[in-house]
Amino acid sequence: MEMHVKMERICNDFTINIATANGTGSQSSNLIILNSMFHMADPVSGKNLFPSNISGLPTWFIIRASDNGYQSPGDKAHIQVLMNKDTWFKDLESLEPGTIVIYNEDAKLPVDRDDCPSFGMPMTKMARGINPKLARLMCNMYYVGALAHLLGIEQNALEMAVRNQFKGKEKAIELNLRAISEGLDYATENWEDEIPYRVESREKDPDSFLIEGNEAIALGSIFGGINMLSWYPITPSSSLAEGIIQWLPELRDADDGGSTCAVIQAEDELAAAGMVIGAGWAGGRGMTCTSGPGISLMSEFIGLAYFAEVPGVIWDVNRVGPSTGLPTRTQQGDLSMLYEASHGDTQHIVLIPGTVDECFEYGWRTFDYAERFQTIVFGFSDLDLGMNRWSTSGFEYPDSPMDRGKVLRSQEEMDAVENYGRYRDVDGDGIPYRTLPGSGLDPILYRGTGHDEDGIYSEDPDVYYATISRLKKKIEGARDLLPAPIIREEEEQQIGVIYYGSMENSITEIDDMLESTGLSVSTCRVRALPYHSEVEAFIERHEKVIVLEINRDGQMYGILRKELPAHLIPRLHSVAYTDGLPPRARVYADMILDTLEVTA
Amino acid sequence: MKLNVIDLEKSEYTGGKSSLCPGCGHDQISNVIIQAAWENGIPPEGIAKMSGIGCSSKTPAYFLGKSHGFNTVHGRMPSVTTGASMVNRSLSFLAVSGDGDTASIGIGQFIHAIRRNLDMVYIIENNGVYGLTKGQYSATVERGSKKKKGAMNEQPPIDLCAMAINLGCSFVARSFSGSKKQLTSIIRAAMGHRGMAVIDVISPCVTFSNNDESYKSYNYVKENDEVLHLLDYIPHFTPIEEVDIPEGEFDDIQMFDGSTLRLETVGDEHDPSDPMSALSAIHRAEMDNKHVTGLLYYDNSMQTAEEALGLTETPLSALSEHELRPSADALDDINSRFRGN
Repeated sequence: MEMHVKMERICNDFTINIATANGTGSQSSNLIILNSMFHMADPVSGKNLFPSNISGLPTWFIIRASDNGYQSPGDKAHIQVLMNKDTWFKDLESLEPGTIVIYNEDAKLPVDRDDCPSFGMPMTKMARGINPKLARLMCNMYYVGALAHLLGIEQNALEMAVRNQFKGKEKAIELNLRAISEGLDYATENWEDEIPYRVESREKDPDSFLIEGNEAIALGSIFGGINMLSWYPITPSSSLAEGIIQWLPELRDADDGGSTCAVIQAEDELAAAGMVIGAGWAGGRGMTCTSGPGISLMSEFIGLAYFAEVPGVIWDVNRVGPSTGLPTRTQQGDLSMLYEASHGDTQHIVLIPGTVDECFEYGWRTFDYAERFQTIVFGFSDLDLGMNRWSTSGFEYPDSPMDRGKVLRSQEEMDAVENYGRYRDVDGDGIPYRTLPGSGLDPILYRGTGHDEDGIYSEDPDVYYATISRLKKKIEGARDLLPAPIIREEEEQQIGVIYYGSMENSITEIDDMLESTGLSVSTCRVRALPYHSEVEAFIERHEKVIVLEINRDGQMYGILRKELPAHLIPRLHSVAYTDGLPPRARVYADMILDTLEVTA
Repeated sequence: MKLNVIDLEKSEYTGGKSSLCPGCGHDQISNVIIQAAWENGIPPEGIAKMSGIGCSSKTPAYFLGKSHGFNTVHGRMPSVTTGASMVNRSLSFLAVSGDGDTASIGIGQFIHAIRRNLDMVYIIENNGVYGLTKGQYSATVERGSKKKKGAMNEQPPIDLCAMAINLGCSFVARSFSGSKKQLTSIIRAAMGHRGMAVIDVISPCVTFSNNDESYKSYNYVKENDEVLHLLDYIPHFTPIEEVDIPEGEFDDIQMFDGSTLRLETVGDEHDPSDPMSALSAIHRAEMDNKHVTGLLYYDNSMQTAEEALGLTETPLSALSEHELRPSADALDDINSRFRGN
């Protein structure tokens, strides 16, 4: 296809799709592209679509540059990099006309798309020239060079990204930089045509950096004073636990050199939950992190903690269920399970971060809420937020001291409480006082069986009803102490969109798409359950409210319908969709438009 | 009134009234626990009572009323104990479980608590049946056992002591709820041990399996108890030179807290430091349809879970905010490093 020499430039507004095989080291190359683009201009995001596999299965990395700040994967690829023979033809087939194709000539496969400008490079052969043994890994650095040439990525940005990627490993830095520059030189010498897409430097926040949600939560929990981490490996939460393990020695060694946080790799998720409850019972800050299958296993213990009133923190980094589902894909499918986990009537506090800043913040806040309300507090993240890299200007130090809750630590404190009983609502807020093992203060045998206000076994109907009513009151009392929703309100108050969690990364684009049709759209991001009274007020102010979420059944919609006053329920309309991929703005915007049309 | 070494009456160690069947072996074990804790002079508030679910797991309500306790969920007591032990290593954990709680639903947690050498006393009140659900077989019942109603058990029993020894448990003993002296010495020694002490106590179920054919009935155990040695516990606060020297051969074992467990030889000598001889004693007894009781295996050289993790000396639950929350400067430094500065 003939290219025009003078073409219109499209700067910082395109999507690259890189198709590679899992386990070939392509993640390093992809992150170098992402980080070097981020170095030049903030608005860039990366999504890793990887298989449940060690090596060999296909993986795609999607990089989107957007001056509008759009972070969802975009509707289509503008540039396709082909490295994987297994998906070669399917990848090619899916391209829209005009998509730029960069491919490894050494795959010896045809690129039969006359309508797509294509650029070949003998990447494997060139990599062999540097190091025959590492050619399979190293060849991925050549598409970095290719993209740097075509997109105009600056040399200093590339160098910075390579140095960051291979921190301190001078040999690796040198080899990879050499491969990139060989790729760049090859492209400069052999590719005459230009492409319209360019990365252009922008004035940017000098404080910003990219980080995965999981690492942000890990740091947050360390600043939250975590005393015990129990965990069982499961994608996509393992890197959260590993983040804590990695940071602990630097941040949490005591003066005697011993650690102030125990880390136990448990035999299963049941044990991990039991350890959290044991730690909370003994007066420590215990936490575990898992994904949906782990929550299913932990459910019995979660009910014990709710009923016996023991603090603990559990993070769910949601992957696609049910069952083993799509273990390396993303979803918001666990929300209703978390909110009412375990048998009998239960209700749990759930904090829902939508940004990496909130991941850090809720990393420490969850402990304060757990000890304040003497119950399990969930953090609810997902694979998209947890395992992809998002921008922050830096984490903010906790703005309040630790809240250790109503713990009586001395006889004087005990004497000050009138008519103490472990489960007596002395203050009228549903939250009783507690004492710790070892204190000798009014000990009881904690139990999951029915108990009276003094913790004594009871099957009395009035006692049981009083207990579960107080528990309801206790959690209800948390509503307006939990993070309030983030509301962006239009004056017209025509359409309201309620959403939560990682949908934050797509909402700006969805909002722009809706407003481009002439609609006026306000948004409300719920950040905790039980939901804040401001959420109800938002619904009260809007004629029609869409509840937007990444699951099949509209789980937040269900929770709202159950708890809202009857007159508000007809205003709610569910837009829920999930296919395992990070949310694409166009899909949800169209569904919202369809729903509004149907209900008009 | 008789006082113990920390000037407390025995009543300071008792608990609520038992709701188990009259004559239950578990109640005898509760009495031994009370006796052992009192004689050892452990402050009641320094003990944490742990249990799972079942008849046996109800018993922490019936002893040590001045100690905090946690009656957790079925088969998962070890994990709760693990978490509590990590954040407060100064507590003495005394756990009671049953054969259903440990050998079936909780066998995974039992195994892993042993692997970690959690610092705790783990008593299994073993009667071969599920009592609260009305007499179903448990996994420790002998092959060929037949209930009044229902089918014969055709599956081989799990021997929890043999399993514990194979897993490298640092203290493994078997006893009988009717052998008060032996059981008291074993529990007292276990309380002075640092690491996992597993005590499998045959404890007849008077309601569902006390028929004479049952290997776990009173009469059967009394007649088929193969005692490995006579046990005499000498606490660290009693000068050992004041204790009478036995006439026959004996061996002294030093516990972590400075106490001594004296093993007086009866019949063949048993070396508790040799896992092979412990395992063969168990297997010989099993082949003869007998129960071998006493200290089967002991190893005081193993690291506990807390030691292996390199925790700070202060119990983690006692640390201040200053010790738990890194400084604002530390966070500034982290932010700065992420920025590549």
